[in-house]
Amino acid sequence: MKLKLGFKIWLVIIIVLLSLISIFITPNFLKKGVVIESVEANSTAFEQGLRQGQVITAIDGETIENLEDFTNALQGKYSSNTSVKTIFTTLDSEIILYTNEVPEITVSEISKTNIKLGLDLAGGARALVKAEDRKLSSEEVSDLVDITRNRLNEFGLTDLSVRPVSDLEGNHFMLIEIAGATPSDLEEMISQQGKFEAKILNDTVFIGGERDIASVCRNDATCALIEGCQQSQEGGYYCNFRFSVYLSEAAAERHAEITKDLEVNSTSQGNYLSEKLDLYVDDNLIDSLLIGESLKGRVTTQISISGSSSGETQDAAYDEAQKEMHKLQTILITGSLPYKLEITKLDTISPDLGEDFVKFIIFAGIAALLVASLVVFVRYKKFKPSLMVILFSFSEVVIILGIASLIQWNLDLASIAGILATIGTGFDDQIVILDEAKQKTILSLKQRLKRAFAIIMGAYFTAVVSLIPLLWAGAGLFKGFAITTIIGISVGVFITRPAFSQIIRRIEK
Amino acid sequence: MEEQIESQKKNWHDKNYKILLVIPAILIVFSLIYMGIFYQNNEDIFYKDISLTGGTTLTIQDKLDANKLLEDLSDKLEDLNTREIYDLITGEQKAVVLETKANSTQTKEILENYLEYELTDENSSIEFTSSIFSENFYKQLLIAILIAFVFMAIVVFIIFRTLVPSAAVIISAFADILMTLVLADILGLKMSLGGIIAFLMLIGYSVDTDIMLTTRILKRSEGSVNERIFGAFKTGITMTLTSLLAFAVALIIVSSFSKILSQIFTILVIGLGFDILNTWITNVSIIKWYVNKKRK
Repeated sequence: MKLKLGFKIWLVIIIVLLSLISIFITPNFLKKGVVIESVEANSTAFEQGLRQGQVITAIDGETIENLEDFTNALQGKYSSNTSVKTIFTTLDSEIILYTNEVPEITVSEISKTNIKLGLDLAGGARALVKAEDRKLSSEEVSDLVDITRNRLNEFGLTDLSVRPVSDLEGNHFMLIEIAGATPSDLEEMISQQGKFEAKILNDTVFIGGERDIASVCRNDATCALIEGCQQSQEGGYYCNFRFSVYLSEAAAERHAEITKDLEVNSTSQGNYLSEKLDLYVDDNLIDSLLIGESLKGRVTTQISISGSSSGETQDAAYDEAQKEMHKLQTILITGSLPYKLEITKLDTISPDLGEDFVKFIIFAGIAALLVASLVVFVRYKKFKPSLMVILFSFSEVVIILGIASLIQWNLDLASIAGILATIGTGFDDQIVILDEAKQKTILSLKQRLKRAFAIIMGAYFTAVVSLIPLLWAGAGLFKGFAITTIIGISVGVFITRPAFSQIIRRIEK
Repeated sequence: MEEQIESQKKNWHDKNYKILLVIPAILIVFSLIYMGIFYQNNEDIFYKDISLTGGTTLTIQDKLDANKLLEDLSDKLEDLNTREIYDLITGEQKAVVLETKANSTQTKEILENYLEYELTDENSSIEFTSSIFSENFYKQLLIAILIAFVFMAIVVFIIFRTLVPSAAVIISAFADILMTLVLADILGLKMSLGGIIAFLMLIGYSVDTDIMLTTRILKRSEGSVNERIFGAFKTGITMTLTSLLAFAVALIIVSSFSKILSQIFTILVIGLGFDILNTWITNVSIIKWYVNKKRK
């Protein structure tokens, strides 16, 4: 029996330690410097190898420890029109830039914890989008999500999440979340329809939309498939994919007109026309496709688009091909959305205010914990059990934060309310345990504690079931609250409370 | 000393516990009538702020006079409301918050013209919700609370498996929510999203003490019923007081800063206050009546 007692308490200690590791041991633990948050695509900085996530430790030999150092190091460096040399020392490499412009990167200080704060605390933007005057099906929303993600990536927004959400009534929405600084024209970027064009040389063959593209074959193995995988000469594998696109009559004629004068080039993989079909989204070149010889000058409403992707293993190559095909299909239907978009909710939160906010919350949390502990102390007039109540409540908070860091959960205001709810129930349960342990009956202490758990479990289940509807209600905007609370009270009931009752047994004996 | 008080209390309570039920009964009837009238006048069960009706909240990190803004802009922005945010420690003004039914583009434009500087994500925050979405959102949250309540009721029935004691717990929880709602309406509280979360939290908190009480009385055999009630009372009142005081302190700290959190705390403080009444008068009297009747 003694062994078992030890086990429950040890379990809590170990889980708290693991939680602390999960919170504080970041990939850049104890390192000094600034982290690159984003690098503009196609910039000099990007070409030379600066990437998101790298840690800059020095610029031109000067140590960089914080944002101020970073700003100072670059200030005034690029005022003239001539290119200057800048040496960026990162943790594992040295990157040299020759440029006359301030490098197109954004940086932030190394975060000391793995805790991710939600938009309402860390700043950022959130948009909830639906179709105007129309209910979207879940397939339509998932297309919309793919299209929007592609488009926003083209705008150079990297730290973003686009995902479908639905609510209790079965309405589907697209939720876009962007962390940190928000582009000022976000609203336009979202609601504007993407523009897709396919060009040969500079002549437009077809544009996105129902007028030119009748349909794109997707999820149908007879006209969209991966044709086979082979080992390449360099050792890796590559897989070929092919899917059909159905053009309108007018677009087909344009295609014939433009291709009829092109020459045919012979390559080892087949005969292709001398010019490629270039695909543009919002005027950015996304892909160039070879055009098969057979299509030259022909009026055909069904064209086949094919390509290949490589990978180190056959499975990897297959996955890549699938991804690439999906990307192309999405691009082709871009701009052909048969509905208008409407932003139903748009929040942009300044990062500055969030920082103060976190301070306030921590302060409020500590004050609340102290007051509650005071009540416990006044009631029991014993130092040890009161101290245990505080210690265990605190350990629950640590464990919740540890789990949140581990699963990369974004802590927003609603989650904070959830943590508060957890502390509240934690206190309540511990008071129940203390009082049951004190009861004057012939029952053994162990039996009395068992009875305390009957009450605790009852309260636990009522709390959990009452949180379940929140997982869906209101497009899941309160999921944070529900999940944090469920995690918190479950940790309490299954991990910390059993240990607490063991400690009380030892103290009371 | 303690024993004496207890025995006196016992006698008094034994005689009067049924009459005590009149207090919550009057309050519940009054609340229901009040809600009925309120619903007729407002076509809703509480006043809603713009997070539930749709509109824009604009926070500008600048030392602007909230009253002056209200005066100057209320004819341009529909249903304008303003308040200031202060730093708790230094007392220095940090920002000003505007709430209006106008949409975000309009609000931003009017404010930029008025302030003569651009509002960016560095000096301001904007939260906009369309009215159709808000309506929908609000409806669903109410449904969520309803479902939560039903689920809670089912679990309570499963735990106790008897009609009257389970009903007592559920009635107490219902009375908590109803009375809190009425007081919030009387105080003119404009309900936000946070407020609705708070009602959900209240369901959890209010049944905690009721479950503890009912378990102690029904599933225990030692001591008299009164002794068990008094034991449960000591435990329960400690539970409620710790939460109540903790939330009250948190409320004072966040009150100027976060509208959502301060509303959550306000509702919880009110709700826990009513919970004391409903657990230790409503629930205790019903269950005592039930146990006494069963014994005869």
